[in-house]
Amino acid sequence: MSVLRPILLVEDNPDDIELTLIALERSRLANPVVSVRDGAEALDFLRRQGAFANRTEENPAVILLDKKLPKVDGHEVLREVRADESLRRIPVVMLTSSREERDLLKSYDLGVNAYVVKPVEFDDFMAAINDLGVFWAVLNEPPPYGSGAGSAE
Amino acid sequence: MPYDSQSLVTASSDDCAREPIHIPGGIQPHGYLLSVDEAGRVVQASRNVAVLAGIDIEAVAGRALAEVVGAEAAGLALRALDSLEAEGIPLYAGSIDDPRTGRGDASSHPPLAIVVHSHLGVRIVEFEPARGRAEVFASMYPLVRTFINSLQHAGDIEGLAALAAREVHRITGFGRTMVYSFDDEGHGHVIAESMEPGYASYLGQRFPASDIPVQARALYVRNRIRLIADADYVAAPLVPALHPATGKPTDLTYASLRSISPVHVQYMKNMGTWASMSMSIVVRGRLWGLISCHHDTARLPSFEVRTACEHIAQVLSLQVEAKEDHAEADYRLALRRTQTNLLASMANTEDFVESIGSDARSLLGLVGATGAVAVFEGRIVRVGDAPPDAAIEAMVTWLDAQSEEVFATDNLAQAWPEAADHGLGPEAAGVLVVSLSRLFRNYVIWFRAEVVRTIRWAGDPRAKLSTLSTTLSPRESFEVWTQIVRGRSQPWRQAEIEVAGEFRGALLGIVLRRAEELAQLALELGRVNRELEGFSYTVSHDLRAPLRHIVGFADLLRDMDYSRLSDRGKHFIERIIAQARFGGKLVDDLLAFSQMGRAALRPQRLDMKALVERLVSEESKDIGTRRLECRVGDLGHVMADPVLMDVVLRNLIANAIKFTGLRGVDADGAPAQVEIGVEPGEGEHAGHDVFFVRDNGVGFDMRYADKLFGVFQRLHRVEEFPGTGIGLASVRRIVERHGGTTWAHAEVDKGATIRFSLPRDFVPEGTTGVNETAAEAASRLAAVSSGQPYKPVLKDLKDLKGTENECAETDPAGRGQS
Repeated sequence: MSVLRPILLVEDNPDDIELTLIALERSRLANPVVSVRDGAEALDFLRRQGAFANRTEENPAVILLDKKLPKVDGHEVLREVRADESLRRIPVVMLTSSREERDLLKSYDLGVNAYVVKPVEFDDFMAAINDLGVFWAVLNEPPPYGSGAGSAE
Repeated sequence: MPYDSQSLVTASSDDCAREPIHIPGGIQPHGYLLSVDEAGRVVQASRNVAVLAGIDIEAVAGRALAEVVGAEAAGLALRALDSLEAEGIPLYAGSIDDPRTGRGDASSHPPLAIVVHSHLGVRIVEFEPARGRAEVFASMYPLVRTFINSLQHAGDIEGLAALAAREVHRITGFGRTMVYSFDDEGHGHVIAESMEPGYASYLGQRFPASDIPVQARALYVRNRIRLIADADYVAAPLVPALHPATGKPTDLTYASLRSISPVHVQYMKNMGTWASMSMSIVVRGRLWGLISCHHDTARLPSFEVRTACEHIAQVLSLQVEAKEDHAEADYRLALRRTQTNLLASMANTEDFVESIGSDARSLLGLVGATGAVAVFEGRIVRVGDAPPDAAIEAMVTWLDAQSEEVFATDNLAQAWPEAADHGLGPEAAGVLVVSLSRLFRNYVIWFRAEVVRTIRWAGDPRAKLSTLSTTLSPRESFEVWTQIVRGRSQPWRQAEIEVAGEFRGALLGIVLRRAEELAQLALELGRVNRELEGFSYTVSHDLRAPLRHIVGFADLLRDMDYSRLSDRGKHFIERIIAQARFGGKLVDDLLAFSQMGRAALRPQRLDMKALVERLVSEESKDIGTRRLECRVGDLGHVMADPVLMDVVLRNLIANAIKFTGLRGVDADGAPAQVEIGVEPGEGEHAGHDVFFVRDNGVGFDMRYADKLFGVFQRLHRVEEFPGTGIGLASVRRIVERHGGTTWAHAEVDKGATIRFSLPRDFVPEGTTGVNETAAEAASRLAAVSSGQPYKPVLKDLKDLKGTENECAETDPAGRGQS
């Protein structure tokens, strides 16, 4: 398997998207980055439906998921992913501004793999994104294809 | 020692009370009494009937009444007997000439009035000397007309009584006529008097209750007039002695000729009285008083006069009742008005216990008291002349054992003999207590001061006691005997006791309403708290994001285009970054602070010394070459939430190190000193451990000490000592949630000491997760600590790959080893 799995960034705030993309760019990962703007789009992408019916990309190596999203929020996306036989093993990282205990608890209850609070300091933010990208796209051994990592055949 | 009149009454009345005065077996001989059966035959007669009928007394029984007293008298009597509707009420049947006159008796005999009544199935006919044969009511009216006409001019009850005394005196010609009223204990108080010259005055004196035994009082309510025409009389016995129909002595309760107890006759003679007549004043079914006439020789008023006097007594009874009702109604109205004022002023104030005390006039006026206290949830609010607090507390303890909701006495020493031992003095001779809640010991207590009363008895009421045990005899002396009564207040009136009960009800209403308001407030508070939670959640998300973005883009600008910026531009970009960072920190601190107030406490036994030593070493890492002396006392253990206590001590220690920033810099100056210790709490902190963090730093002006623990309050310029001003606010909130308090003392340039107390037996509200693991606590600490939410550990890929296993151990999800 030579095709690199993409990193799926689910984020509604364009500033956050731009900063995250810059951070990922600087971490020099080879993986492509796909960004979608809300939970509904994220699920369309994952399920290859709607605007993404013909996507060519592999299922993502990791989903970086904001909690607060228009239409379908981060927790709902997480729940859908975990409930979907073909998607449920995809690593999901909550990447959010909220440090609320209830958000943390709910995320872990729904089976999140990591929960990262976006640092205010840009250097720290860059470092966090870098670490996340390296860990999940490079270091981490993803679930094999066809085992709920959601590959098309 | 105060003379106990109550027990005297009981003791001395006892002997008299056993005498069966309603069945004396005979009558006074100025009249005649016969008992007739249904057929109109005489079955029993007084012995003097023989004289009246001119036949032998043994021959009277069994004869028709007409044969004994003549057809006219018998006709009147029997018709009246047949028309009787109620038991025991005497009916005037008419008047006749004395039968002897008809038989040609030469001596002059006055006409006779016939009165009949029926009692316990026995029909009784009495003949009494009358003035004339005219219809009695026609001759009575002129006698009482003056009295009736004057009534409306008599102002008060004393005025009425004086009028009655004067009229009865005038009508009867008795030497002395007195009106007296009975007090609650049965003593007669002479309130009016009218006399001939030469008679002793009893006005204002008291006759002890023992003068009129209990069964006589009962009799006086039923039969409202008694006449003793001649103390030297020889009773005319009834023949036969036992009534043939009942086989018992005839009950003469309602007979006006009833023979009097020899004890009473002796009493009269002791008083110098040979004739007496008394009329009952009955108010609301109770013997209120008597109109009593005395004469120093035998005297027989005519039937008409007796009837007129009886009528005057009845009118007086009704007038007294009306006056009393009116006065009572007026008083009740006044009390109720006072109560309304008091309640109105109480309902409009926040602290109604305090407001009870603020309207002293109304509170005292409510029941006519001289002092009052409200005891409420441990507070004592005093008004007027009230006993000291210690005495009140002792009294409340005593009251706790009583059961009445409203308790009143005009003699506290009698109800509670130990009262004086607890410091309750003459200001508390009378008490009126309403208990609102025994459980919470809430009372309102009114006091009445002792009223030293001088009572002038008509004779020493104890005189009779000396001989009482051997013979039944009345007292012999009627000389004025003065007695001082101590330890008692004016008695509480029924209206006052009732209004106190109503006041209790109203107070309960207020207390209940307060409780409801509190519950409503708690509900409201819960709602506001949830709103606030939502608010801080929004802040957390939406306020942090733009700050991050500003910092991010400004950083990028600096990274990429710094060299192309002008010097001023470079300065601006530094300012933008610094301020945006500060804004972010403010938001983080504020969020952490708000979480501290909400998150559940998870207290554990905590080694304070270990905690403090760790924090000191962490916080003093960045002081460079500055000399710092740190002393940590033996801090022991506390029950507290380790995460939150970490926040408290870290803030205090960091502050101490921060504000000693100018010390220990120069080699020759004093080093920075920080001391952390504990001392046992005293006074209001009893039962607490008081921890302190003391430094020799810049201190602060004590004028601003109250601002120290407020959110965003800073006492120093940010350039001197950086900070967001949340640290001490967090400290205070955490300490308060543990049931403690925080305070500070400082002097400018000499240092500051911050203290906080923690209760030794801390029991948190509704704790659940007591068995928190270290890892859980650590993540919670990360959540409530302001500052860096994420600290990168790994700098580049190479490091990362070399330390794979270590990394796995810190993997938050714990999945790294797969």
